[in-house]
Order: sequence, then C-alpha cells, then structure tokens
Amino acid sequence: MSPFFFYSFATILILASLAVVLARNPLYNVLALVVAIFSLSCLFVLLEAFFVGMILLLVYAGAVLVFFLFVVMCLNLNTVSLASDAQRRFRWLGTVVGLMFASSFCLAFKSFIKAQTMEASTIRGTIETIGKILFTDYLLPFELTSLLLLIAIFGIVSLAQGALSTGKNVENS
Amino acid sequence: MVSPQLVWVAFFAPLVACVLITLFFLKCKTSSSLIAIAGILTSFICSCLVFTQIFQSNPPAQLQQSLPWIHLDTLTINFGFLMNPLAIMMLLIVTGVGSAIFIYSRGYMDEDPSSPRFFAFLSLFAFSMIGIVLSNNFIQLFIFWELVGLSSYLLIGFWYAKPSAADAGVKAFMVNRLSDFGFLCGIILLWSLSDIGAGRSFQFTDLMNVVPHLAPHMLTIVALLLFCGVIGKSAQVPLHVWLIDAMEGPTPVSALIHAATMVAAGIYLLARTFFIFAPSTTALTFIAYTGAITSLMAAILAVAENDIKRILAYSTLSQLGLMVMALGLGGPMQGMYHLTTHAFFKALLFLGAGSVIYALHHEQNIWNMHGLLKKMPITGITFLVGTLALSGIFPLSGFWSKDAILGLAFANNSTLYLIAALASGLTAFYMGRLFWVVFWGDSPVHRRRANEHEVQESPAVMTIPLIFLAILSAIGGFIGIPHFLFPQQAPEELNLKVALISSVIALLGLGFSYLIYGKRTEADPLVTKLGGFYTVLQNKFYFDIVYGWYVNTIQQTLAICLARFEKEFIVRFCVGGVTNLARSGGKTFRYLQNGLVQFYALIFILGAILLFLFLMLIK
Amino acid sequence: MITLGSYLTLSGIIFSIGLVGVMTSRNVLKVLLSLELLLAASNVSFVAFSKFNGDYAGQLIVFFVILVAAAEVAIGLAIIVLMYRRLSTIQADELRTMKW
Repeated sequence: MSPFFFYSFATILILASLAVVLARNPLYNVLALVVAIFSLSCLFVLLEAFFVGMILLLVYAGAVLVFFLFVVMCLNLNTVSLASDAQRRFRWLGTVVGLMFASSFCLAFKSFIKAQTMEASTIRGTIETIGKILFTDYLLPFELTSLLLLIAIFGIVSLAQGALSTGKNVENS
Repeated sequence: MVSPQLVWVAFFAPLVACVLITLFFLKCKTSSSLIAIAGILTSFICSCLVFTQIFQSNPPAQLQQSLPWIHLDTLTINFGFLMNPLAIMMLLIVTGVGSAIFIYSRGYMDEDPSSPRFFAFLSLFAFSMIGIVLSNNFIQLFIFWELVGLSSYLLIGFWYAKPSAADAGVKAFMVNRLSDFGFLCGIILLWSLSDIGAGRSFQFTDLMNVVPHLAPHMLTIVALLLFCGVIGKSAQVPLHVWLIDAMEGPTPVSALIHAATMVAAGIYLLARTFFIFAPSTTALTFIAYTGAITSLMAAILAVAENDIKRILAYSTLSQLGLMVMALGLGGPMQGMYHLTTHAFFKALLFLGAGSVIYALHHEQNIWNMHGLLKKMPITGITFLVGTLALSGIFPLSGFWSKDAILGLAFANNSTLYLIAALASGLTAFYMGRLFWVVFWGDSPVHRRRANEHEVQESPAVMTIPLIFLAILSAIGGFIGIPHFLFPQQAPEELNLKVALISSVIALLGLGFSYLIYGKRTEADPLVTKLGGFYTVLQNKFYFDIVYGWYVNTIQQTLAICLARFEKEFIVRFCVGGVTNLARSGGKTFRYLQNGLVQFYALIFILGAILLFLFLMLIK
Repeated sequence: MITLGSYLTLSGIIFSIGLVGVMTSRNVLKVLLSLELLLAASNVSFVAFSKFNGDYAGQLIVFFVILVAAAEVAIGLAIIVLMYRRLSTIQADELRTMKW
C-alpha cells in the first residue's frame, strides 16, 4: 500500500511543480502550487508527521497562497505581453544549470549508501509529541519567530504606507 | 715604527681641501689656491716623515691598516692602506711633484676667472691618486682608479665652453671606461679564484699567497685582463688616442696628470701587483711588445707634430711604452726607476712649455715661437735640462733610468732592444727639434700680434718650481732611487756597452735635428722630404678615423637597434600590452553585470555547483 | 520499498525544478512561487530525515520554515506590488539599474 501512495503523491507533486514553472497564466501558476502543497502534505502524513502536514495546509495553502491569489487578481496581468527578448538567451542556460544541479545532486547521493538501507523509526509527529518538544526544548525559537512575524508586519505596513502615498499621487495626477 | 695617523692625514688632506674649496671658497681665487696648496703640502710633509720612519729600520718597515667596510657572508671588502717602500716612493713623487705643480698653477691660472673650480678639481685628483697609491685591495684601487678618470675628465674639459675641450674630456673618459671594463673583469675573476681555504679576498697581501695555487692559463687570463686597465690608463696602443687630445686641458693639468702621475698609475699597478704577472711568461711577453710598439709609434708620430704640448704628449706616450716594456721584461725596478725620473723631467718640460704659452698669451704652435732662450733665460735653461734628461744624456737622471731599461732589454730580447733604441734615438731627434725651433736663434720674433708687449720671463711663482724640478732631473740619478724602491733587490750594474751605444744614438739624434732645424726656417722642411708618409703621420696612423667610423656606424646602429627594441618590445608590447590586457579584459567582463538579477542568481548557482564538483573531485 | 533515498531523490527533483523556475522566469511572481518550491523541497528532506533518524528536530525545523516562508512571502508580495505601481509591469528584466 505504502509504495503506491508514495509514488502517486510524488508524481502529482512533480507534475504540479512543473506546472508552476511552465504555465503561462499566473493564475495557473498559483493554483498549481496549491496542488503541490496538497500533495506535499499528503506525503508528510505518509511519513507520520501529522502536525506539520496540517500546519502546511492551514498556513501555506490556506493563507499564503490565498494571499498570492489576491495579488495576482489585483495586478490585472496580461498573459500575452510577458515575452521578453532580453531573457530568452538565459532560458536555456538556466535549464542547463538546473540539469547540472540535478546531476550533481545524484552524484552526491550515490555516496550516501546508508540512505538505501535505513529502517524507518517509529516516531509519530502528532500534536502531543511535537507540542511537548516545542514548548520545552524549542521555546526560545518559538517566541523569536513570533517577534519575526511582528517585524514582518511592521515592514509591510511601512511599505504599504509609501505605496499608498505614491498611489495617491498617481491617482490624483 | 711607521705611525698610521701620518698616513691617514696624507691620504685625506687633499680631500679636505677640495671639500672646503667647494663648499666655501668657490668665489675667492687667492684663498682657494692657498687651501689647495696647503692640502697637498700637508700630504707631502707627512709623506716625508713616513719615509724617514720606514727607512729608519733595516729591513725597511711595512705597515698595513684596514677599516672594515663591507662584510657579507661571502664578500669582504676593507678600506685601508698598504705602506711599503714602493708605495712611499710613489707617494713622494705624487705629492712632491704635485706640490710644485700646484704652486706653479697659482701663477698660471691667475687670469682665469674660474680658477677656484680648478683648484677644487686638482685637489680631488690629488686625493684620488693618493688613494690609488695607498690602496691595499683591488676594489678600493678600482674605486680610486675611476675617481682619477673622473678628475681627468673634469680637468681636461675644464674650459668646457670650448667644444674641442669638452669632446676631449668625453673621449678620455670613454676610452678609460672601455679599458676599465677589462680591468674589472680581471679583478673579479681573480677574486673568484682566490679561495684557498680562508675565503675569497681582494687584498694584495692575501692574493700574494693565492697566486702560486692558480692554474697557469687562468693566471695568464687574469694578468691580461688586468693589463687592459693599464692599456687604457697608461695610454698604450690601441687605446692611446685619448692622451693626445687631453692636451686641451690647462698646462698644469697636462703636467700633473698626463705626464707625471695619472698615466703612471698603470705602471704603478703593474709594479705593485707584479706577483700576479711574474709567473706568466705569455702575459709578460704581450706586455713587453705592447710597450715597445707604443714607444716606437709615438716617437714616429712626434716628429710630425707642431703643437708644443702635443709633442710633449707623444714623448710621454713613448716613455710610458718604455716603462711598460721594462715591466714586461720582468724588471719592475727598472720601470719604476724610469717612472720616477720621468716624473721629474716631464713635469719640468710641461711646466716650461706652460711658461712659454703663458708668456706668449696662449700661443701653442712652435712655428710661431722663435729664439726664446734670450728673452726667457730661466725657462729656456730649465727646458734644456729637461730635454737632455729626456734624451738620456750623461750624467742627468734620464740617462741612468733609460739605460737600466735598455740594459734589461739587451740582456733578454734583442728585438725589443732594437725597437727601444730606435725609439730613444727618435726621442732625441724630436726633442732637439722642439728645442731648436722654439728656443734657439738670435732675433725673437713671433708672427702673430707683433705689436704686443715684449715677451718676458714668467713670474717667480712659476719659475721656482721649474728650477726645483730641474735640479731633481739633474741629480736624480745619484740619489739612489732604485735602492729606495726595492730595498731587497741588489743594485743593477751599469752595462757599459749599452750605455755607450745609447749615448751615441742620443747625440746622433740631437745632432741630426740641429742639422735640419738649427737654422731658422719658415715651416717644417720634413713635410716636403717625407711627402706622402707625412700625411699618414698627420692622421696619426688613422687610429682616430677608424675609431670614429666604428663608433658612428657600428656602435650607433647597435645603440639605435637596442633603443628601438626597448621602445617597441619592452615598452609598447610588454608594458603597454599588460595595460591593454587589463583594459580589454575589463571591457569584456563588464557585460557580466547586466543588471538582471536572475542572471546573477544563475551565476551564483553555477558557482555553487562548480564548487561542489570540485570538492567531490578532491574526495 | 520506500527508503530515505526515495524521499531525498524527490526532494532533489523538486529543488531543481524550483531552481530552473527562479533562474528563467520572466515574471517576478513566478520567481517568488519557484522560491516556495525550493522551500518545499527542503521541507520534504527535513521531514524524511526526521522520520528515518527518529529525531523530532526535523519536523520542528519544518514548522519554523513554514512560519518564516509566510513572512517572507508577505514582504515579497508587498515589494512586487510597489514595483507594479512604479513601473506598470512585473517583468523581471525591467529592473536593470544595478548594472555597469
């Protein structure tokens, strides 16, 4: 059972990420990413990391990608006018570099023999177990990330303030 | 015992005089001359004192003192002096004759507005010459050798506004530089071979122990290279060309530098380091023949000269050739003896010529002078003494020293003896010619400026040195100079046969010249008698022309080629190429910064991949 | 048989796709999305390691990565909106001022 699920979710994940990169319409890009996150979450559940799987869905797919969708809708993009001459040269170069990366990854991977023979352990990433560790050993990072989020909010609000005033000038002129 | 302080004072007194004059007294004529005379007289007095100290003990004392100068791992050069009988005799000559000439030049140069500069240069020369005499190692000797060359250049071109004088100074310096190259090669070669266990050395006393250990052919090469220096400095063939043009300098300069002391430095070097030359018969033969050829060639050329100083210059060349020949025949004692007596009478002759030039307001052509014996008696009589001494007439000093050399030649090599005897005969001939044309006759008439004021005897400051030198030339043979020079050597017996033959030759020469020149003539009768050969003599056997052609064509082309090479290849290609490379490299590489952030990310990731591959490969 | 290796291979593939997306996208929004793909790939490998090593640290790191990714996306989108307001376009090669 397990291999079947793994391979199907992995295939969906790969196809979705290809769609993220290759699709023309920005809307399709975002929606493909949503699909990818869904399959990712399923993979996490396969690995018995339930907590992070759910968090991924709630935070990522639920909030971040929705935010992406808002912006895409806001910006009113034309799908056609996105062809540019200057970057055509680098498209194939970028693809080549990506392939180089993939191959060097395989190269590195070949030497990691243990990966082929390891046995999975029996831990389960449920809310209780994660919560126990989070609030005892990893309390400090937890609090610091809340500070980080606060700073991010400050940043966005100040950027938006500037945008608002510029926007006002644009509208008035 | 010998006190070293006296030697150091004698060494540096003229330098102090030169520095004082240059710093403070370049405007005062009287003070500068007095300071210079004081400097050289101090050296002379100290030399006399050291002389008495050396010869107080028997065997005579010897002193060497060195200050450490350069001390590296493999290179040691000291600064010091080596005082032995040979050195003190040479020092006495240099300072004694030098003092006479310094006093003389006070009178000769008093009309010249830049005479303080003259006395500064003269003191510098005296210091350098004393340095050569006293040095105890080759590098110090070479330094002073070059300094003497420099002083000679400065003094020959003293009247630098005159183009011929400036050119003559440059010519002297260049020819000397050429010979000094060979000299330096010889010094360094000898130094590199001088390691017999105690490290390499430049000192004469150390090299004396080294020479027996050297291979014969290496020793010959070293000897010949060292002789190169002598060829230049003592004006042997083929580097004799500078001495004739050096007469452009003031007469005291010609007397001091180009007759008595500087050109004798080569002979002194040969005598001082004779232990290097003695074992090598090839080198000695070469030296002897060079000297003989120089002697004969100069004597022949003197016959065709019409400038009083140039005749004397050729006679200097001829006598130097004789001295070099004597050294080549293995007789340093004879060579140095002749050097000493030659210093006396040659300085006397030059100063006498200077007196004549001064009295006739810088007239130098002998055909414009006549019958000066009546008007300038002191000059005339002292000049006669000098002429007779130079010709080798008994009992003047020249007779004894020249016969020592001729006796040595007679005993060893008859070809050389014949050449030397011929040269001596010609010497008597042209000196007689000079005397008859300039001083003999009844009515003193000089062609140019016939209405100028009367010719009169030169002032006392000029005639007293003349008298002093004349006395020395006369009694020089009787004061036992060879004994003082080389106390260990037994005195040579006079070869009566040789003495008789040479006296006869000299008298023949003088008589022959009287026959041709005794009566007053308008121009030189030899011109018509010798015809075409006279033209060859006038062109000085074409040496100057050949050298001039060589320098103008071959050397200049080479220099231009090298200059072109330097400009094109080194400057434009190498240096310019580097800058062009940097510039074009920059121009190409700046397209990497095109402002597209994704391109930067691409390069970034590419670099990371390459680094990763590199680390994988190292594993 | 699903081993750690399979998960790591998957992570590598997703990462490469994300890299290509970052380097070649004409659209700045797509760049940001590809960036999210990179993070997702590393999340996969972290969780896989956590499961196979028996250490919860991997999953906690994923938790924090998600948080930070959220913050980063928010700011990134704000910047993109500003860019759109100024240049009326979101093509990446319109931002060319950092050049020679």
